[in-house]
Amino acid sequence: MIVTAQKPLNEILDLISPYSNILIAGCDGCTQPPRGLREARTLSQLLELGGKLRGKNFTFKVTTLVKQCDSFLTASALKPQVDGVEVVLSLACGIGVQTVAELFPDIIVLPAQNTHFMGAEDREGGTLEERCIGCGDCLLALTGGVCPFTRCAKGLLNGACGGARDGKCELDPGRDCAWELIFERLEKKGKLDNIKEYRPPRNYQIKAWRLVP
Amino acid sequence: MAEPVTEERVAVKINEQYCSRCSICRSLCPFEAITKDTETGKTLLDIEKCQVCGICYSACPARAIDTIYYDQGSLLNYLKGAKKKYGSQALVIMCKGSAPDFLEVERLFGVSGFIPLSVPCVGRISDEVFLTAIGMGIGEIYVLACDEDYCRFDRGSPLAGRRILALNLLLEQLGYGKEVITLKRSSLKVKVDRDLCISCGNCAFYCPYGAASLDSPGVASFNLASCKGCGLCVVMCPAFALELENWEKERISALISKLLAEMEPPRILVFRCQWAVFPSLDGELSPNVRLIDLPCAARVDGIHILDAFQKGVDGVLVAACSEEDCKQEKAGGKAQRLVAKLNERLSQVGFQDRLHFCSVAPRRGDGFDKELGQFSQRIRELSQGERK
Repeated sequence: MIVTAQKPLNEILDLISPYSNILIAGCDGCTQPPRGLREARTLSQLLELGGKLRGKNFTFKVTTLVKQCDSFLTASALKPQVDGVEVVLSLACGIGVQTVAELFPDIIVLPAQNTHFMGAEDREGGTLEERCIGCGDCLLALTGGVCPFTRCAKGLLNGACGGARDGKCELDPGRDCAWELIFERLEKKGKLDNIKEYRPPRNYQIKAWRLVP
Repeated sequence: MAEPVTEERVAVKINEQYCSRCSICRSLCPFEAITKDTETGKTLLDIEKCQVCGICYSACPARAIDTIYYDQGSLLNYLKGAKKKYGSQALVIMCKGSAPDFLEVERLFGVSGFIPLSVPCVGRISDEVFLTAIGMGIGEIYVLACDEDYCRFDRGSPLAGRRILALNLLLEQLGYGKEVITLKRSSLKVKVDRDLCISCGNCAFYCPYGAASLDSPGVASFNLASCKGCGLCVVMCPAFALELENWEKERISALISKLLAEMEPPRILVFRCQWAVFPSLDGELSPNVRLIDLPCAARVDGIHILDAFQKGVDGVLVAACSEEDCKQEKAGGKAQRLVAKLNERLSQVGFQDRLHFCSVAPRRGDGFDKELGQFSQRIRELSQGERK
């Protein structure tokens, strides 16, 4: 899922303050934590309260979209709702914001989130961790399902570096050593031989702006 | 008159002078709060374990137990006053845990107009109250108890059932006719609008009872037999796909508007867990304060807190049970974190110190009053500061 964090509310208030009629658009897609209708409503209430303290009366409408990044779905769901709307304040990741901005060139589209990474949520602790950098050259088959690009602080493809203590990274003791995780996984799967296989340096040409045919 | 600080108003006490040491209270207490001193034979009550259900009070044959909530005297006083006020011969005693609104209660029992008596657990109503009510000329008594496995005090609802069975037999022998007291059971549970579900799984993750799951297409589905009506899933649902029966969002919003119209500034709205604070039967509320009792602090919803602020409330107080006291598998504990999060966001828009969370328990009679007093003081000062 795409992990985002809410922008500070005073920053959002600054962004919307020149306008009055605002549509807050949630996204039920992969944004985590969920930024659906409840979040849209809550944000509208908070911004209205904040606006009043600044002597500003906003008019909010709230809605949510199944997948804001899907231009077809978003166009059909949003078109009937944007009459008289000056600003769409999007709760989606950066991709959703760009989709809406492209679909409605006459309307100001503003992000309410900072988009961080592709990751997973530990619901118990409420933390979200990066799990994939989208390198375009997946080697999870060799590493027992642990991505060293993302989870090794040094991005080593042929680890471990030897600096880990008690399974924790020497650069950040709060972080598990990815290569120890890989070792344990491979051991459990009976695939320890994988670790001997040489993995060539990452091909950064793949990481350039790209289109998948 | 202020009471001495050292003597707290303890909610339940055993009066040793009258205690015959029969141990009925000890065998009925669902929380093992009553023990027998092996040396002296005295019956002892550990108030820290006591959840103030009142079952012991209602069952003590020697009347050796005192309570500050819904004691015989105040219940009968209330009935006397209410009989005049409501002009009805029908009394409905209902548990707060499962009672729907009064219109629904009328429909359920087929009565029009009744004397309402809402208590936390019908198991706390003693034989004597029933019999005195009949003696007062109340011809019909209806009791709405929780489903037995829904009872927040485990044994309260089953006890009420047995008590009514025995009383009905007794009344029949006395010539009052059959089934003078009508007992019905109910419970308030989650409702799901599956069309609105976005398959995030929050309900399944947060439900303390394992009542929620995602079925094969990934849509929320509930095993209602396991649902205990705390409302946590409703608050955690990002898509507004869930409702708690009798505590629907629209209904709470309408209640906030109604209460607001009665209030005088500075306005303080309190969301309380109905098991954390037991309301008094009489007593006047300050015109600055109005209360909304919810089935658990877990049902305290950020959108309602914000709704209240938008409508002009000056301060919102959330009163919950402590995690140890929570009748809902610590679901109420989540409320504290949600309120803290909301407070942080409120301060980002410049709205500070208006929302406060406190945990209280009915075992100390004045715990909530103290919290409310302090909070009211703070809001009053804030409001005066604004006017200057």
